[in-house]
Parts: sequence; C-alpha cells; structure tokens
Amino acid sequence: MQAAPQVPALALHGVGRKFGALAAVGNVTLSVAAGERRAVLGPNGAGKTTLFNLICGDFPPTSGRVELFGQDITALPPHHRARSSVGRTYQTSLLFNGLSVMDNLVIAVRGAKPKRFSLALPSREDSAKAIALAERVRLDHLLETEVAQLSHGQRRQLEVGMALACDPRLLMLDEPAAGLSPVERPELLKLMRDLPRSITLIVIEHDMDIALPIADVVTVMKDGDVVVEGPPAMIETDPTVQAIYLGHGRAH
Amino acid sequence: MSERTGAVRTGLAARGVRSAWVLPASLALLAVLLVLPAVIPPFFTANILGRAIVFGIIAMSMTFLATYGGFVSLAQMMVAGIAGYTVAVLVPGAVPSIVGGVPYAVAIPLGLLAATAMGLLVGAIAVRTQGIYLLMITLALAVGVHLFIQTNIAWFNGYEGIRNVVGPEILGLPFRNTYVFYYTALVVAAVLYAMVLYVVRTPFGLALQGIRDNVRRVNALGYHAALHRIAAFGIAGFIAGWGGLLATFYNIGISPGTIGLGATVNILVMAVIGGLGHPIGAFIGALIFVVFDTFAADLYDRDRFNTLIGAIFLAIVLVSPDGVLGIARRLGRLLQRRPAAQPAEAPR
Repeated sequence: MQAAPQVPALALHGVGRKFGALAAVGNVTLSVAAGERRAVLGPNGAGKTTLFNLICGDFPPTSGRVELFGQDITALPPHHRARSSVGRTYQTSLLFNGLSVMDNLVIAVRGAKPKRFSLALPSREDSAKAIALAERVRLDHLLETEVAQLSHGQRRQLEVGMALACDPRLLMLDEPAAGLSPVERPELLKLMRDLPRSITLIVIEHDMDIALPIADVVTVMKDGDVVVEGPPAMIETDPTVQAIYLGHGRAH
Repeated sequence: MSERTGAVRTGLAARGVRSAWVLPASLALLAVLLVLPAVIPPFFTANILGRAIVFGIIAMSMTFLATYGGFVSLAQMMVAGIAGYTVAVLVPGAVPSIVGGVPYAVAIPLGLLAATAMGLLVGAIAVRTQGIYLLMITLALAVGVHLFIQTNIAWFNGYEGIRNVVGPEILGLPFRNTYVFYYTALVVAAVLYAMVLYVVRTPFGLALQGIRDNVRRVNALGYHAALHRIAAFGIAGFIAGWGGLLATFYNIGISPGTIGLGATVNILVMAVIGGLGHPIGAFIGALIFVVFDTFAADLYDRDRFNTLIGAIFLAIVLVSPDGVLGIARRLGRLLQRRPAAQPAEAPR
C-alpha cells in the first residue's frame, strides 16, 4: 500500500466492546491513513456500527485504545471528540425533527465552536456557513422546511451536511445509501467523491456498488472482528468475502 | 427512544405556532392588557388579570422547559416559593421577623438568585431522568422542600408561614395599590415572555430544542447536553422566581400551603389547559384557571372548585391534547383551509 509517513488519522489498538457476555466488537486493530477513503463492509451484526460508536465515544471500549491523529482519545467524552473534528452520521437519521433545516445546520455549526451557551443570536457568519452547508448537500431550497417534513433521501443529505459542519478531519458515514432511491445514489456517490482529501472518510456500507468505487482500502468485518483488509480489487475476488456476501449483497 | 415521541409532538406544536403573526399578536395582546384596567372594575384587574399573570409566569417556567427542552418539571411552584421565602425572610416589616432589615432592592435580587440556584439544583439532580422518572423526581423534590419548610420554625415559621410581606414601593406608590401591582406584574410577564421567545432563537435555545429532539446527536455535535439541560432549569428557575415574588407580594406573605402539592398540581393544570406548545399557553391556562377559581362559588359551590376545574381539565385534554392553543390552531387551520400545514401529524 501507499507509504504513510505521517501519523494515521485513526488508529485502533485491540479495541473491543462487550455487552454482557456478547462481544459486539472482539479485538479490532486497524489504522486509517490521513486522507484515506476506507469502506467497512460486513453482514448485519458484524459490529460495524458498534465500532463507529466506540470511535465517536457514544460508549467507551471495554478493551483497547483509540487514537485520533496520534492523540489517545479513548477516555474522551463524545462532545470533546466532536470538537476535535470528528463528524459522523447515523444509520437511522438522528435529526432535530421539530426544527427547520436551517436551525438543524445552525446547531451543528455552533456545536463546533466555543460559546455553545451563547445567548446572542446566531451571527451572520454562522448563518452563512449553515447556508453553505445546505448548498453543499443540495438542501438550500428547503432552509425553512421543518425536518419532519423531509423525504428520506433529504434527511440523509441533511445528516451529511450536519456531520460536515464541524469541518471534520475525520468523517464517518454509517450506511449513507441505505434506503436511497436509484436516482439519489449517484448523487450521494458524487457528494462523497467531491469531499476534499483533507477529510479522511470512513464509510460503513452494505452496498458494494457504493462502497467499492470510492474506497482506497476496504475492511471486512464479521462477528466483531476484521476478517479481511485490502484494496477493492482484492476484496472483490477474495473467497472469504464471497463466502460472507454470497446470497446477501452481490447476488440479489 | 419511545420517551421522545411526546416531546417531539410538543416541539412540532411549537413550530406550528411560531409564525409571522406571533410578534404582532403578542404586541396587540399587550396593548389590550395595558388599557383594559381603564374599563374593567379594579377587582377584575387585580384578582383576575393580575393573579392570572402571576400564576402564568410560574406556569410559563414549566412550559418553557416542556416546550423547548421536553422536560416536564413539577418543581416550578416550589422553586417560585424559594424566591418568595427568601424575600419574606429578609425584608423589614415581615411577621415574624426572621432576618429582617434587608431592603427590597437587595432582597428581590437575592430572591431571584435563590430561585435560579434552586432551579439549577433541581436540574442537576434530575439530569439523568426523562419522562415519568423526571416527573417523579421533581415532584419528590417539590414535596420534600415543602415539608421541610412546613416543619422548620426557626427559618420559615413552619405551618404559619411569614405574613405582612407588603412588597416594595414603586415610584413612591405602595405595591398594594391595584394598578401598581397589575402593571408591575404585566411588565415583568411581558419582559420574561419576550426573553423566552428570544432565548429559543439563540444558539443556546436551539441546542435546547436539539436536546428535546435528539440528545445523542447534540452530544455528537460537540455540545455538553447535560450542562445545557441544567442551565435551562436555571433559566426556568429565574422565571419562576419572578412569579414567586409577585405571588408573595400579592398574598402579602407566604405559607407552606402556597407551595404545596395542591399548588404544584394547579400550575401543571394551568400549563396543560393552556397548551404546552408555546409560552403564551401558560397565561391562557392561568386565566381560565383563575376565572373558574374566582367564580366557582357563584357558579356552583366554593368547596367543589376542584371538581369543576377537574372536569374542565378533562374536557379540554379529551378534546385537544395540546390544550386551548391546540384548539385555536385547529380552528385557524379550518378557517384558512391550508391542508399543507399539518405539523401535529408528522411521521414519528
């Protein structure tokens, strides 16, 4: 693979998470280089989302260490991680349903800045940034629409917009294409392709047609552990992956 | 996840109300309330409108938390009482005199400070609870403080309470003057109401609504949701504190009964009758409550007030789960025939 002299964007050292007796994530060691596009594949229950939750701090790992750009963040609470430029989306959209698209984006923009308790109205700069984000995810015509009224695809777009609000160095997308129509899929693909290389991207995706074209490296997980890791071309022909995915992904 | 649905509902309701006509409507209402005392008897000014405004302030502190944060706190009457008791304990002329001698100009800010601090404390204690558990823990705090005050003679004069808290002089006029009381209460209520509408447009208020809709996402965006929540309870405590002060001056004193379980439930009834969708609902609910409280004796039977208000409460909640505001909104929609705007029936 490419030589990466600089510190990796994300490094996991023997990270595991148990829920009671169940090891949702067993013992994962992986390293994502800065600027890399990484796809995480695996059947349902493989521990992909749990791995995301461990990285963004929704709950702590029961073992191992998480490093972000060389800094140990294992014990940092989630809001601190967001401030250190980790943006993520969720498998099921977690949006603020009672607020407008604009308000959702303003909350996201302000979350990345100091003075989160500010009692001054959002500045022009904040609003401008929120509008810019809306344009980036093509929701600028719906700024005043209440989020509860958005279509599924628009909600996914807003998810990405909010994750981009903190100017992330690491962006994690959890099944961004889930439930998208055939028209919306290429748009999402384009959005991901257009992200600058200053953003390291990790994508969980069931759909290989989305995951493989953008990925530099693919990690395949099963039962909480990494099974295979390698470039897309290798993954496509790997017998283990085919064994996992036949009947699930490609074959339908 | 399931506890979110109720909160999201109120949130959507709030959104439905927040439209271009809120500001003009509020200003028109204020204008009416400013001139109304000229045409109605003083009894109505003080005992109906004035009292409704004072209770409305306390109910609004509950509505603020419920509408924008999704937290239903039953501790707001108790928090209001903390402000009232603080002033009663400190000011000169109170019977019995406990500390005494502290002028109103100092005692009133101290009372508001105490209520804000109590609000923060309630928020901190309840910070990990939601829904029915939040309701229970705030109720327990309210009842606990009430019983503590009722049994503490040295500081609060126990069951008797503290009398003769006449309130400050304003522009040289005694607070007991009907119009001094009424216009002070009106100005305070208007400023607090405007403050609530302003705060919810700031980053702090937006994040609070974010917490209502989705705590996890708020944390993931870099906010410390728990601190935000506690701060919101502090703001609600400050609002309730003003109501507690005005109520104490109106009653010329304070006793444990005014902050007990009955009073706590009354505030909840007002907030729900009016509608937990917009802060104005608190005042509408308080007005309805006070009207029936005052005229129950003529209409029906003084001692059966609870039956009467209970029946009205049931009727309103059955017809419209989001109170009078919900009825008004539905009527407005019928008149406008705008099928596109249907905030309450959104998915999830």
